[in-house]
Amino acid sequence: MMNAVERYLAPTTLAQALAALATPGGATVLAGGTDLMPQANAGRVKAASTLLNIRRVQGLSAVALDGNALVIGTLATLATLQHDALVRAQAPLLVDAIDHFASDQIRNAATLGGNLCNASPAGDTLTPLLALDAQVELARLTDDGSIATRRLPLADFFIAPGRTRREPHELLTAVRVPLRGTGQIARFHKAGTRPALDISTISIALAAQRDDQGCLHDVRLALGAVAPTPVRAHRAEALLEGRRLDAALAAQAAQAAADEATPIDDVRATAWYRRELVNNLTRRMLDDVTQA
Amino acid sequence: MSALLTPPAASGSLIGQRIPKMDAPDKASGRTRYIHDIDLPGQLHAAILRSSRVHARILRIDTTAARALPGVHAVLTAADVPDQQPIGVAKDHLPLKRDRVRSVRDEIAAVAAETEAIARQALTLIEVEYEDLPVLADARDALAPGAPLIHPEPHGADPAKPGLKPGMPIAFAGKPDNIAMRFDYTHGDVAQGEAESDVVVEDSFSLHYVTHCCMGVSGVIAEFDARGNLLLYSNTQVPFLHKREFAEIFRMDPGRIRIIQPPIGGGFGSKLDIYPFEIISVYLARATGRPVKLLFNREEEFLASPTRQPVLLTLRSGCKRDGTLTFRSVRTLHDNGAYTSWGATTPFVMMQTFSSLYRVPHCDYHTLAVYTNNPYAGSFRGYGNLQATFAVEAHMDQMAEAIGMDPLAFRQKNAQLQGEVSGQGMVFRSCGFQDCLTSAAERSDFAHRHAEYAAQRNAPGAIKKGIGIASMLHVGGGAKIYPSDGCGTILKLDDFGHVTLITGASEIGQGSETVLSQLVCEELGLPMSAVTVVNNDTDITPWDVGVHASRTTFIAGNSAIGAARKARDKIFAAAAPRFDCAADDLALRDGHIVRRASGEPLIEIARFLRSLHFSDRAELVMTTFYYEPPSVHQDKGFKGDVSAAYAWAAQVVEVEVDTDTGVVRMLKVTGAHDVGRVLNRLGIEGQIEGGIVMGQGYALTENLLVENGNIRNPNFRDYKLVTAPEIPEMDIAFIESMDGEGPQGAKGVGEAPAICIAAATANAIYNATGVRITSLPFTPERVYRALHGVLPPVPPVPPIVERPA
Amino acid sequence: MSLKHEIRFRLNGVEQRTSVDVGLSALQLLRDVIGLPGTKYGCGEGECGACTILVDGASVNACLLFAVDCGGRELTTIEGLAGDPRAQALRQAFVAHGAVQCGFCTPGMVVQATHLLAVEPKPDAASAKRAIEGNLCRCTGYQKIVDAIVDAGARLADTTAGDKQ
Repeated sequence: MMNAVERYLAPTTLAQALAALATPGGATVLAGGTDLMPQANAGRVKAASTLLNIRRVQGLSAVALDGNALVIGTLATLATLQHDALVRAQAPLLVDAIDHFASDQIRNAATLGGNLCNASPAGDTLTPLLALDAQVELARLTDDGSIATRRLPLADFFIAPGRTRREPHELLTAVRVPLRGTGQIARFHKAGTRPALDISTISIALAAQRDDQGCLHDVRLALGAVAPTPVRAHRAEALLEGRRLDAALAAQAAQAAADEATPIDDVRATAWYRRELVNNLTRRMLDDVTQA
Repeated sequence: MSALLTPPAASGSLIGQRIPKMDAPDKASGRTRYIHDIDLPGQLHAAILRSSRVHARILRIDTTAARALPGVHAVLTAADVPDQQPIGVAKDHLPLKRDRVRSVRDEIAAVAAETEAIARQALTLIEVEYEDLPVLADARDALAPGAPLIHPEPHGADPAKPGLKPGMPIAFAGKPDNIAMRFDYTHGDVAQGEAESDVVVEDSFSLHYVTHCCMGVSGVIAEFDARGNLLLYSNTQVPFLHKREFAEIFRMDPGRIRIIQPPIGGGFGSKLDIYPFEIISVYLARATGRPVKLLFNREEEFLASPTRQPVLLTLRSGCKRDGTLTFRSVRTLHDNGAYTSWGATTPFVMMQTFSSLYRVPHCDYHTLAVYTNNPYAGSFRGYGNLQATFAVEAHMDQMAEAIGMDPLAFRQKNAQLQGEVSGQGMVFRSCGFQDCLTSAAERSDFAHRHAEYAAQRNAPGAIKKGIGIASMLHVGGGAKIYPSDGCGTILKLDDFGHVTLITGASEIGQGSETVLSQLVCEELGLPMSAVTVVNNDTDITPWDVGVHASRTTFIAGNSAIGAARKARDKIFAAAAPRFDCAADDLALRDGHIVRRASGEPLIEIARFLRSLHFSDRAELVMTTFYYEPPSVHQDKGFKGDVSAAYAWAAQVVEVEVDTDTGVVRMLKVTGAHDVGRVLNRLGIEGQIEGGIVMGQGYALTENLLVENGNIRNPNFRDYKLVTAPEIPEMDIAFIESMDGEGPQGAKGVGEAPAICIAAATANAIYNATGVRITSLPFTPERVYRALHGVLPPVPPVPPIVERPA
Repeated sequence: MSLKHEIRFRLNGVEQRTSVDVGLSALQLLRDVIGLPGTKYGCGEGECGACTILVDGASVNACLLFAVDCGGRELTTIEGLAGDPRAQALRQAFVAHGAVQCGFCTPGMVVQATHLLAVEPKPDAASAKRAIEGNLCRCTGYQKIVDAIVDAGARLADTTAGDKQ
């Protein structure tokens, strides 16, 4: 576990943090600690020789508008985002999900970047961000010592449970959420008996634009905990794209979403039940949108 | 007198008041020192290596590397303690396993080291070589020909001492089958009962593993002094039984064992047996000559603690067309796990429910507890009654529906009245059963809603509401299962009117110290601030059998009252001549000796006590009292008036079922509890609310997943306790049936509120959906499967062969 | 052997300087290194809230916080809230409402509720329940804890309002 750590760093600048990541042997990144600590205790982390605490790096927790995107710094805590006026106005779907995230104590410490890099298929912020067409910004140090960034659609960021396309020498620095115009529809649902403190059995996030004729455009239906990563239900989206919602279409799209899901049996639920939930809850969500 | 009338308390009386718990201020400020917070100078930390196999022979244990780790003082295996004795209810449980492991919690080795981190690191250096044996993971397979035998070898039970508890069957050493225990009960003639029935229903039920989840994990500190006396800091609920058992186990004089009980982080019955970790800590203390402290971590708490007894149950019930119950015939199969703990004795309590919850003329009950390689069950709040009531109350609804009778009326027709004697010989001297049913039903609008929700079952909409009722019977005045069911009190009044109440009764968070003080203050006319309670040191406190069977308020309460009355009598005897009147003319009120008739204060109690002390008579007021309840031991047929009082409750549970997901939300619980008399209103409400939510967890969310002997969810992430946003609205009424023997009329209530929640919830789900689910818990997936007809039914319990005469 | 790192931080208003293993949690720091037992170990995984403390004014699970990350920060435990008016009101309300049975969850509850009252001075029952959703209790069934939190908030708000008049 942590016995392998030979060096502890808590830099205050991004350049220092990236330099640490670039050294041979790499670094284990610590931010809020709400995932790293239990994983280390359970022996599920092979700690690198450097423990890199990035929580003190300046400039990584801001929430701001940049052109037509909402930019959220990786170190923004979930509690901060829950109450941030910009986030509430521009990405209420994310706020909805955070409202169902763990507990107040964990929200006060957990960072958005940490939740994304942990890449749990059931991660609560992942599903809504996927539905919002979010991008991640990854920074690295170039050979001449300057900082370069690249952007990846969130849909391309997750590879498998716990694995992302972040290279070992890169740091996730920000999440960019495209701003939507008027007519935006957004819904989030997390299945379970508790409002929070629960790993999702499944979660569903829906985002779309509705035009004056009531037709849906840019439909995004994201599902959590039904595949190795959060996924978009593309066939369901295609069924809905450009159409007016009614009960029959809702049922059809919900069935398509259920068919596209590839859940597993685990200690929380069986695959069969998860598919039933996707079907029923997607249909209910779409019915709710129809009546809204 | 109607039981619903609350007798008016005399002005200034403490009875029925809301009295804050005496230790609450310390607990709320973080000052209370639990066992986890106690450190003795020079102490070592212990950790236990548990089996990584479910069932295996131990071929080799190599502790060389562990012993060599810096900071390690001792590493013990069975080979190092050849004198170790088997422990537990059936003496089939060696603390350190010698030749074989039978479950994943089996203790193989133990380390004492300078720090807990070093101790746990040493565990990783211990090499164990196993030879796997076939795993027996299903109780149904335990008696099949060729089933692996879990205890084929003689396990040290001394045939000369057949049992510590009279009338209780024990497992025999060396038996060629997996039967750990059996019980057979009969009253009346069920064949006759069935012949008289117009309706007969039979169903099988499956009750699952849950675990106590006390917020404070288990721990112990053991220390020998220079003369070889043993001091244990222990969270046991039965200190005096513990003391005697430890003495037997370590072949010591019991007088040389002292148990100190730090404040406990929850009990709920988990601390009624002796567990290997305690014995092992003593061995380590002996081996190292240092105090040894052992604490579980939460995962170990899940893995190694006793569970609630899982039960497979087949119930056959009958009634006449007019609603009269005729018979119950029950058989249950209990997964005993690898070793026998209190779970195996739950039939004692279950038969009380089968035989006596409602008037049943004919009843038989046969049960087997069989060994498997699963975790063993212990005692857990309700002690089998949740499981039994779940089945009995399902059939009450089913039979009512079969004869077209209102479910409440059906219950009221069969609910016993004061003075009745049940088929098992329990005498219902005070009985608020009918009033409980009426009160819960009226306050919840049960009849109206039950009809309305049933009518809505097939209406459009995924959300269905339902309402269900269930009741329970439990002992409320102790349970005479040990040679004595008594409790001792020593009372001391000092020169300042301050009382030291020394009681054998342990405080496990239920508020006993506050209730006992309240009863003493009521007798002595003193304020609550006048009492200090000492209840946690076996060198000081008099004997009490322990905190179980909801007995403490009743028995320790009567004991405290007895001592207080002796003190009061002593004061009056000395005061009467001084004030030229008879002792009967005096009373104690508001810290004074007063004239009983007029209330005229004569002298301050404290002043009088000083005058008694500093006089030619030189007398202190110190009294003792041992209260043994007037209950009897059951005979060999388990018949007898085993408790001094019995308690009832009825609960109505209202739910909302989301048929799209199977999620059941518990909206409201309306309860009516026959408690005899409310003593501390604040305390009793807290007990009931806590019990209801524990019952909610049992019904809806808690499930210890045991598969092939492994516990799959040993953590709070996947073992779901109820959280604050999930609790129902709770409306509780108290039926004060004023028990003649109970302290101020009170009866025990600790276990009652958890007992019939699951049963009422099952009836509510049926009301909402028309689907009856006979296995727990009602998780969303289970309910969803049931609603869609894809939940496999519970297979019947195989017939239990009658024991040869 | 685990790497040690020196940290300086404020604990209950007092400057601290100590050397800690990099793998140590703040819970272990408080209980085992510094010796303050009021913060409880319930699960070590952030699922029960028994270890709730305040860090820079916000409530967190001490078991999930790396001790090395405490450097430069302000920690407050249940012991440090002895003079805090919100915590005082809560303690009194907990006692008066019967919200304490075994008491093991109570320090965590009081710390969490203190934080709640700082951000939402007069919570209703629903708010109070959501605020303590990360604090498990096995004894009370939560009802009286919720009653106590709502009552404490109401009393504090009245006192403040009274002061303003």
